[in-house]
Amino acid sequence: MSALPRPSTIFLAAITSLVAVLLYSPLFVPIVSSFFIISHGNVDWSSPTLSTYVALAGNHDILAALRTTLIVGVCTVILSVVSGTLLALYYHGRRSGRSVLQFIIFLPFLMPPIISGLALLIFFREIGLERSLLTVVIGHTVFVLAIVYRTVLMRLQSMSRTLVEASYDLGATGWQTFWRVILPNLSSAMVGGAILAFALSFDETMITILVTGTQSTLPVRLWAMMRLGFSPDINALVALILMFTVLLCVLAARFLIPRQMATERN
Amino acid sequence: MNQNTDLLTLRSVSKSYGTVPVLHDIDLSIRDGEFLTVLGPSGSGKTTVLRLIGGLEPLTAGEIWLDGQEISRMPINKRPFNTVFQDYALFPHMTVSGNVGYGLSVRHIKRKEIASRVSQALELVQLGRFADRFPAQLSGGQRQRVALARALICQPRLILLDEPLAALDLELRRQMQEFLKSIQREIKTTFLFVTHDQEEAIGMADRICVMQAGHIRQLGTPHELYYKPNCEFVARFFGENNLVAGKLGPVQGEQRPIETALGRLVCSVSGQPHLKAAADGASAFAAFRPEALRLADANDGDNRFSGVIADLAFAGSSTVATIMAGADNAAQRLRLRMPSRIDGSILKSGETVSLCFAPHEGHLVLA
Ligand SMILES: Nc1ncnc2c1ncn2[C@@H]1O[C@H](COP(=O)(O)OP(=O)(O)OP(=O)(O)O)[C@@H](O)[C@H]1O
Ligand SMILES: [Mg+2]
Repeated sequence: MSALPRPSTIFLAAITSLVAVLLYSPLFVPIVSSFFIISHGNVDWSSPTLSTYVALAGNHDILAALRTTLIVGVCTVILSVVSGTLLALYYHGRRSGRSVLQFIIFLPFLMPPIISGLALLIFFREIGLERSLLTVVIGHTVFVLAIVYRTVLMRLQSMSRTLVEASYDLGATGWQTFWRVILPNLSSAMVGGAILAFALSFDETMITILVTGTQSTLPVRLWAMMRLGFSPDINALVALILMFTVLLCVLAARFLIPRQMATERN
Repeated sequence: MNQNTDLLTLRSVSKSYGTVPVLHDIDLSIRDGEFLTVLGPSGSGKTTVLRLIGGLEPLTAGEIWLDGQEISRMPINKRPFNTVFQDYALFPHMTVSGNVGYGLSVRHIKRKEIASRVSQALELVQLGRFADRFPAQLSGGQRQRVALARALICQPRLILLDEPLAALDLELRRQMQEFLKSIQREIKTTFLFVTHDQEEAIGMADRICVMQAGHIRQLGTPHELYYKPNCEFVARFFGENNLVAGKLGPVQGEQRPIETALGRLVCSVSGQPHLKAAADGASAFAAFRPEALRLADANDGDNRFSGVIADLAFAGSSTVATIMAGADNAAQRLRLRMPSRIDGSILKSGETVSLCFAPHEGHLVLA
């Protein structure tokens, strides 16, 4: 398959696995230990149990936080997909100010979250917007917009220009072309972008802490729990969030496979 | 349908991209029902002409008229033309019948009628069985035919085709050429077909429009272009040709002599007033086809000169000789084509021969 000689292939494989183990093995520790009871600061390895998960399900604070997270996530996804798609279409239309616009979209994603969060906080105070779930949704949207925008724009740019021309040529109006040709070709990129946006919103912490009102999302709740001490629920919670995020990313990858390959397969 | 009325007319059309001029003052009339081919080297502006007519690009200057009505600024989706794109531009998310029916469904035509017209169109291009496939599941030739059906179904006045066969291999290309031509005869719609392949142009076109560097050099039947090219470019570009530079002599009836390095050559100027009108001593070329050149015998007096056979190439049905003639038998390279013979060529490489061509097979081209 590759032109590399065999010894160097083995060497590369060894390096890759070492890096993978070093980087990702810590992730498995909470998952494994979530199935064991911690007493007096030590993990009791003798008896695996689901008791931590049961405790988690009975924890009303956590359930409330989960609900909040889902509400914020869904709102963020809707807002960011709609506005990210519109912005990508604007950029693709070669209108004026496109590079400035793109820079602004990427800025909050690239800046340290604490800076983005503080900037938003100050902004909300200046315009007199109370801290609430609304401010959290706005904060998350500003943060994840770049991802949706980028995903949709890449699909737009890989779409042949003649598709749109063909639609007009066959007598379609601009509106018909948008709904019947452009949007269907963007839809899988939009779904992929939406899943990524949801995953990002799901575990966004820094900005949320700064701009939220009285309600806290799951990661913020986790953060608060950690300050009170290390409890077994935390392992379970981390494990759950981890699995959920991985699931989302796998799903997103599905939708972002280039269309060609996807159609050839069926 | 009357092949003698003009369907579409371009008047002094120019096009620039930014400050770069691409088309210069183009005048072109397309007749109703004809198969007109636009032929020219890469970058000569063929696609641009098509895009201007289709409305995909705005004109820089000039006018486009359809049936005595100006349509220069008519939006693309209102023009009664349809395009077959070079990359087919099939909608990947729609089935074959979705693609073909698109032009009808955006016009809010009833479903039942769409379905029946789609199946008719698919029958016409022999793709009835493929109605429910997606474009990704079709071969190149099949996609091509879907694109054609999609363009035909709207019953356009004019079908624009931009090198539709360029992506196909030779065999399929031949088939599609015949297929396109037969469909055009069947539906009697005007075709404007862009290509840079002159064999394709000769084989398919009623008339050919030769373009170069943003100008139309000549518009005529393949026969006219071949035997009466009006300029050096067309004479050299269109088919193999021998061009010998010289100065025009005085007109003698329907013929005119030209003084060249091969001596005085006499060529026909019949029916070409511009060649009769050209001044004595004007620079021009004598042009004669390789198949018009032959070995001279004792009776031949006109257009006679000698040359050395530099090379012989067997090309199946014909044999092509490369001949050096003129001063020292080196100044002028000529080609001679003669039918091949089973017992070998009568020509020998390195031999000095006496050659000639008949005055009525010679043609003049102003330099
Ligand atoms: N969008 C554009 N912007 C700037 N220049 C362009 C554009 N499209 C075409 N041109 C230029 O216009 C000229 C004519 O292009 P056109 O595509 O019409 O050529 P063509 O005859 O179709 O060539 P080919 O046989 O290679 O397709 C070329 O020099 C090309 O570089
Ligand atoms: Mg072209």
